[in-house]
Amino acid sequence: MSNKKNDSKASLDDQELKLFFDALQQEEPEIDPDFYAHLQSQAITAMPQPIHAWATPRQAGLIERIARAVKQFDSWPAGLGLTMVGAAGVIIGMNPPDTILDLTTAYFQAESLSELAGMNDDETLFWEDT
Amino acid sequence: MALDASQSLPDDKLLARFAQGDRIAAEILTARLAPLVFKQAFRMLSDRSEAEDVTQESLLRLWRAAPDWDFNQAKVTTWLYRVTANLCIDRIRKEKHSCGEVLEIADAAPGMEHQLQTQARAVALQTALQKLPERQRQAMILRHLQDLSNPEISDIMEISIEAVESLIARGKRTLAGALAPQKKALGFQDEQ
Repeated sequence: MSNKKNDSKASLDDQELKLFFDALQQEEPEIDPDFYAHLQSQAITAMPQPIHAWATPRQAGLIERIARAVKQFDSWPAGLGLTMVGAAGVIIGMNPPDTILDLTTAYFQAESLSELAGMNDDETLFWEDT
Repeated sequence: MALDASQSLPDDKLLARFAQGDRIAAEILTARLAPLVFKQAFRMLSDRSEAEDVTQESLLRLWRAAPDWDFNQAKVTTWLYRVTANLCIDRIRKEKHSCGEVLEIADAAPGMEHQLQTQARAVALQTALQKLPERQRQAMILRHLQDLSNPEISDIMEISIEAVESLIARGKRTLAGALAPQKKALGFQDEQ
């Protein structure tokens, strides 16, 4: 005599078990919106910096750049002139108008480029030499 | 890259873009992966708060791994499922989880019998899952709730396919036995 009634109570078959899983799949847990926003924020924070931000080579300092520019010229007086022009431009850009006025006055009152450049008397360069 | 074009990219391509600082890739990956991870964690732990902790930790580990990601290794989802499963198992073993949060059944409303029955079955199964050994639970969740294949589960759990099949067979037997007494109450008709 089969114990079919008892057997059916003892266990579920695959189809019945599948119905349980189908039911649980329908009750899918949803992420809380605030928590989701937090996850998005976390992703952005953890993200490496964009490659272009750190791939830019470190810029050489101002003096180094001027020195490189000067080296391009064969004659040192010409290079000195270029240096003076460059330095003047930087100074003008970095200083308030009153300071520029003082510098400009000094420029026109200087008897020689060498005086303006603060060179020793031994090394003199006059306007005619430029 | 525009959002529309990015959304069609596979996970590993998006992860590469993420590693290069692509914000859109970050948003798309989070949208795709967070629900999968949370669902897996919630099913394993049956506790929303703990599932959120595991989800956050799993995703954070993925973001940290992104710059050194080996594209010849497992799929992103496989790797993520594995990390999530291990974090869940660690929690279970540490805190000796049994039943945590139980799905609540909504109040009865006219004509809602079918929905109530579905919810009741879901609650019963979630409760029974929590009583399974964690490896059986993990295999059953990955197979029957995350709809993964046995080879995928084998990769995630780092066991053979035969071992996966064995875990699932044992899990099914245990669940079927645990749920059988509730058959009638949950709307299953006995055969004559």
